[in-house]
Amino acid sequence: MPERNIEFGKYGARGIKGHEAVARQLDALATFIATPITTRRGLLARLHYLTRTEHARATAREAGLTVTDRTLRAWLEERRSPSKRNLEKIESAYRTVRRQNVSRYLLLRLTREGRGTRVEFHPLNQSQVPRPRQRAVEYRTLNVRHWDRVVRAWAAGDDAALDEAWVNDVVVDLGSQWGEYEFVTAIGFAA
Amino acid sequence: MTDFDAIDALLAEARQEVPLPPAEERRALREELNVSRAQLAKVLDVSASTVGGWESGREPSGQVREKYAYFLEGARTKLAAADPADPVDSVDGVAHAEEETGLDDVDVLSEPQPCVLCGRPARHQVEGFPQHLDSADCAPGDPAQPVPPAPEAAPTGPAASPARGVKVVPAGRRVQPADTPDLIGSAVAAALDQHSGDVEAATAALVKRAIPDAMALLDDSRKGGRYDVVAHPWLPDILRKQSARGADQIWEARPKWTRPELPPGEHEVTALDVNGAYLSALKTHLPIGQLEHSTGGDHDRRRAGVHLITPSDWDHDAYLPNPLGSRDEPGPLWVTEPTLRLLLRLAGPKYGLCDPPEIHESWTSGATENLLEKFRIALKDARDRAIAEDDEVTLEYVKAMYSKFVSTMGESNYNRELYRADWMHLIRSQAFVNLWWKAHRAYDEGLTVVRAMGTDELHVAGDWRAVFAEGRGVTEVKVKDVYTVGTVPSTG
Repeated sequence: MPERNIEFGKYGARGIKGHEAVARQLDALATFIATPITTRRGLLARLHYLTRTEHARATAREAGLTVTDRTLRAWLEERRSPSKRNLEKIESAYRTVRRQNVSRYLLLRLTREGRGTRVEFHPLNQSQVPRPRQRAVEYRTLNVRHWDRVVRAWAAGDDAALDEAWVNDVVVDLGSQWGEYEFVTAIGFAA
Repeated sequence: MTDFDAIDALLAEARQEVPLPPAEERRALREELNVSRAQLAKVLDVSASTVGGWESGREPSGQVREKYAYFLEGARTKLAAADPADPVDSVDGVAHAEEETGLDDVDVLSEPQPCVLCGRPARHQVEGFPQHLDSADCAPGDPAQPVPPAPEAAPTGPAASPARGVKVVPAGRRVQPADTPDLIGSAVAAALDQHSGDVEAATAALVKRAIPDAMALLDDSRKGGRYDVVAHPWLPDILRKQSARGADQIWEARPKWTRPELPPGEHEVTALDVNGAYLSALKTHLPIGQLEHSTGGDHDRRRAGVHLITPSDWDHDAYLPNPLGSRDEPGPLWVTEPTLRLLLRLAGPKYGLCDPPEIHESWTSGATENLLEKFRIALKDARDRAIAEDDEVTLEYVKAMYSKFVSTMGESNYNRELYRADWMHLIRSQAFVNLWWKAHRAYDEGLTVVRAMGTDELHVAGDWRAVFAEGRGVTEVKVKDVYTVGTVPSTG
């Protein structure tokens, strides 16, 4: 199966797109603030992260947190609390800024001075597929050396670019059977 | 210098093997008695081809060697009794060799010439090289004489190669010594070198890098292995921590048990400490791949993982710890493979200590006990060597390696190379199960088990030295504390 799947899950296979699994793993490695934004502690931690320096404020504004400095100050001093819509904005801005900040270092660790990182492909779940339709899809590993496009797309939050980068830079290296690994249960790697 | 002592001991032991007649004579003895190879093989409990191998130059070892020597000795005596002029016992070496050596290229020398192997006079020559045919004669007794290389391998006796053989691998048309890097030894040497012999600084530096080093050792130990170490599988929610500092749902069955009451009288209780409990626990049935869900009450011995069970009652709390540890609430719980196997074994006909647990669901994968075996052996060997040489640096390093390996192989940020929370639980449970079996053994041998707690602590009263060996090896125990409980009954 050398191509992308057309009707994934028609016979009951379950899995997520490879790039989603990668984004998940990269997010896990980036370690966001664990406390949810709905609590005071979580909100303040995010706001502090976004307003610590002038540079951080600028990136936060670029990432969509378009509120005045006065409002930010009011939130930080807890004179006002952000509306639900603004909470979402803060959260998304925080994740974007955090990804951008972390990506430089993550890239260094993943590339490991050119040695690359071993990536595990855990195949899709076929337990709900009728027996005659099941195929032997094995667990595979691959050493990935070029991470820059993947990490850049992840940091920019660009799903289509991440998918493109993941499939074209990494998955095709699995050989002619790469289409079996377009959807996976999990992608594992360390950094 | 203890290692030289060990070599000496090995040498002394190696020479104690029963001498056998040369290979060609063995065959003659058997054939003259009209005993077939198969008959002899059956008596010795080996295969006929093995006997054939012994008759063409291979050397049996161990117990079977003694049996074989007994047979040959008996055959020789019997033949000598039947025919007093039997060439086997003949003093005339020339006639003896003519008849007995079945090889074409062996000639008998009229004048003894120096053997090419040992330099002492020999009566035979093989392809023109004078040498002894019997390895027992051919002992390199005179070290002053240079030993030229023998063109053909003369039968080498067990005494000729007392040291451990060199492992070789083919390289092109030649062989070369197998590449077995001593990662632990070289790391210790490098650290000591870097800190110019400062033991404390070197130990601190080694302990600091124990986790990546353990991972490198693990990678090295899996070379050529059948199974890959799957480091980042998808894990079911029961194995995920519920919060940053929270625990997951697996019950590791850590023992924490104190005997409710002791028999009257005064008891001297010894607190024993199991050496390297987690190191030994690395040998356990570990699931190789991703865990798969299954329901139904069956237990598949070829798989391992975690199981949701309802345990049966434990009625022996008065003298034996509960294999499930000190559980506060009743009802179903997730236990690991070692605990379940322990419960099933105790429910079996041999022990019959409890009813089998009811298995509701399982997350398992195909299992092997050998996944970490080479890793464990490497660490254990390094530890044994360090103890023998009194090398505290290596000892600390090895200890940090295995303990940190186990404690960080789950969702730890200190070791991101391996995310196997399931293995972590299984290995810990195995350590607890091993401790439980020690407690059971003490109980079985008539000791009074007083406490079983933590990973490696066992308090017993009675003559424990008859049951457990004392020492620092992984199969031995060491004494942590000795205390007295109870009062001397007043004699009125």
